[in-house]
Amino acid sequence: MTALLDVEGLSKNFGGLQVSAGITLALHAGERCALIGPNGAGKTTFVNLVTGVLEPCAGTIRLAGETITRLPAEARVRRGLIRSFQVARLFRSMTVREHLELAVLEREGHTHRLFASVGRVPGLADEVAGLLDGMGLTAVAGTAVGRLAYGQQRLLEIALALALKPKVLILDEPAAGVPHAESHRILDALERLPPDLAVLMIEHDMDLVFRFARRIVVLAQGRLLCSGTAREIAADPRVREVYLGSRADVQPH
Amino acid sequence: MSAATNHAATASAPAHGGRASRPQRLRDGAAAPLLAALGLAAFWLFPDDLGLMTRILTAALYVLSLDLVLGYAGIATLGQAAMFGTGAYAAGIAAVHLVADPLVLLAVGGVAGGLIALATGTLILRGRGLTLLMLTIAVAQIVQEVANKARDLTGGSDGLSGIDPGPLLGLFRFDMYGRTSYLFALAVLLAGFLVARRIVRSPFGLACRGVREDPVRVAALGGSPKRLLVAMYAVAGVFAGVAGALSAVTSGIVGLDSLGFSWSAEALVMLVLGGTGRLWGAILGTVAFMTVHHLLAATDPFHWMLFIGLFLMGTVLFLPGGLASLADRFTRGDRP
Amino acid sequence: METLFGIAVDGVAYGMILFIISVGLSVTLGLMRVVNLAHGAFAMVAGYVASFAAQGLGLPYAAALAGAVLLTVVATLPLERLLYRRIYGQANELAQVLLTIGLTFVIVAGINYLFGPTLKRIPLPEPLQGTLALGPKAIPTHRAFVIAVGVATILALWWLLERTDFGIRLRAAVDDPDMAAALGIRTERLYAATFALGTGLAALGGVLGAELLPLEPYYAIRYIVLFLAVVAVGGAGSIAGSAAAALALGVVDTAGKYLIPNFGEFFFYATLILILFRWPHGFFRGRAA
Repeated sequence: MTALLDVEGLSKNFGGLQVSAGITLALHAGERCALIGPNGAGKTTFVNLVTGVLEPCAGTIRLAGETITRLPAEARVRRGLIRSFQVARLFRSMTVREHLELAVLEREGHTHRLFASVGRVPGLADEVAGLLDGMGLTAVAGTAVGRLAYGQQRLLEIALALALKPKVLILDEPAAGVPHAESHRILDALERLPPDLAVLMIEHDMDLVFRFARRIVVLAQGRLLCSGTAREIAADPRVREVYLGSRADVQPH
Repeated sequence: MSAATNHAATASAPAHGGRASRPQRLRDGAAAPLLAALGLAAFWLFPDDLGLMTRILTAALYVLSLDLVLGYAGIATLGQAAMFGTGAYAAGIAAVHLVADPLVLLAVGGVAGGLIALATGTLILRGRGLTLLMLTIAVAQIVQEVANKARDLTGGSDGLSGIDPGPLLGLFRFDMYGRTSYLFALAVLLAGFLVARRIVRSPFGLACRGVREDPVRVAALGGSPKRLLVAMYAVAGVFAGVAGALSAVTSGIVGLDSLGFSWSAEALVMLVLGGTGRLWGAILGTVAFMTVHHLLAATDPFHWMLFIGLFLMGTVLFLPGGLASLADRFTRGDRP
Repeated sequence: METLFGIAVDGVAYGMILFIISVGLSVTLGLMRVVNLAHGAFAMVAGYVASFAAQGLGLPYAAALAGAVLLTVVATLPLERLLYRRIYGQANELAQVLLTIGLTFVIVAGINYLFGPTLKRIPLPEPLQGTLALGPKAIPTHRAFVIAVGVATILALWWLLERTDFGIRLRAAVDDPDMAAALGIRTERLYAATFALGTGLAALGGVLGAELLPLEPYYAIRYIVLFLAVVAVGGAGSIAGSAAAALALGVVDTAGKYLIPNFGEFFFYATLILILFRWPHGFFRGRAA
């Protein structure tokens, strides 16, 4: 079976500094994969390269067989490669509902329509209601996002990604900044993602990583260190080594 | 620190018809009839000031165009007069040489304003911040310089005169008291207001508001920020062009100041006075600005500058939402 | 030949004035990221103060010049504290434009109230009148003086920014404000000092250039577009860029007035658009980066 997302030999230099060195990674439909690594391992650079924020120096990226290495970010989104942001990066003055409407309208290519009313686009209201319900955001649908609790902003971030009907979803630290007591809500939401979706999660919270991911990929100094199940990764001495000092307890639950 | 702009942004969340809060729905539904009623009332109450009031209505349409650009797409510009003046000259030249029908002249102005905005917008809208501000200024200065030099067509610094539009719809002559002009301008402003409202509530308008807040995020949703910005710039150019044509038709003259830096800056001041990101704020701001200007500048232009200067500083420091935010506070208690 | 020489001298002198004023704007824009449209108003205030000191109080030119610069800096420092500090930062262009336009209007109205709408002069002292023989050519002494002060300003700024502790901290803060703060550089004080430097330069240029940019209340509005253009082309925070842009602009504008009086401004703005389109961060920044 061909991979949905197929990254081969992805490299990036900033000046003399190599921040991504020949990373190869394949992601199949329905996969739940986590990308971990100590600070400065190149996780964010990798996400930016794959999503088109940065241009790689070498390597190829294929999405469902199509080469997208040189496509601009928005073209990749339209093909189903969706990311969420590390820090909730939302439109502060717009309501929760407006966010989801915008995402659905963008997906359907409606945003060139000058004289249609958002309220009267067929099927839009129902789809948005479904998304709101799915994340438990119905009660705050009319609230400006700037006034939303942080955990709810993170849920909206996931809902936005889902509204775009992704094939591949890259979650950049979906639980960052969420109080530990509330992170189960994020996990709940993640567990209800469509089963055939390929998910790559970047996360520091090992608890979340071990619960969510079937496969874990470890990045260190811009290189792929190893990859395996939670148990294999936890037992790998190299992983302990790169984490030693920065994040010592790598334990599956 | 960034309180001013943040407030200006958060204070502007026009909701959609179907599910807006009750007071807002009332206010939205009432805005257009209220505008018409007030306009007609002014027509009866101040029959001697129709000339000034016509200028106010024309300016309101122009400021509305700036609101589309700045309030709904977040493009900070000091060159909106380029579109207004281009529309005014296009309509004026067409009136002198080609056609007399006022509605056709408005269309000519709108097309001209839209085209110049599309052409220059494509060129300059990849800039940001100071660069973009400078580019908008430079574009307006170039257009003004071209108008100044094309003396045969535009009359240069003497201005373009001899614009004598035919009767409106073939029925209503433009009378010397300015009655037709005033009512025509009122009707055009109303139409412009309704069309603009339609646009800001469209999927396109929603996407533009997204770009205003965070272009990168819009790209991550699959949208193309640059294309949205250029499109909104061009749409607003049509509005500004129609406003310019309206000014040419109702006043009979077009001067170089219609392309000037001050006219661009004044539009910004009027918009901020009323409140960005709400269409009726643009109209409110224009009426307030032009009225006070008329009263104060009649005695001494420097009194006017002192007033408007203090006002601008006060707005930035204490009332970032403009006059409209005061009205908001009044009509609903839950301002963010 | 005579014309060309005249153009060169006038153009360079005019360019130096533009440089002295604009580089002040450039420095504040580079560090504090504030689009200060009131910069021209500060230059104008200094010009009026010098004019009053020379004509009203009968002070000598040098004293009037020094007094005007000092007074303008002292008078504008509270503004930095009360107004500008609230609008520093990149995300604030609109607030910056509005606040500083407002401030400009207030200053214009105030100047008109105090000094009236008529043109004001700063009488030149005996040694600056007349001409200076330069081999077979003669150039107006005032122009030579302006050019000399301009060159001195370039050298002094270079020394200040490259060789002094203040300059090192300033450049560090321009490059990376957060890092500078983390290193214990007190940005508040640095901002105030830089603001004073910028205002001082505006004041110096305003007084020296009174012969070329005549003093009247609308001065503040009339010339700000020019100063902004120099900064935009030169690149915010770049001394060499400001100098080159100002000199080029001064010479082109002067030549345009002499040779093709009809299209000078047109060419100027067309060039501006081309340069900014190609190098959005300014000609010199864009190429260095």
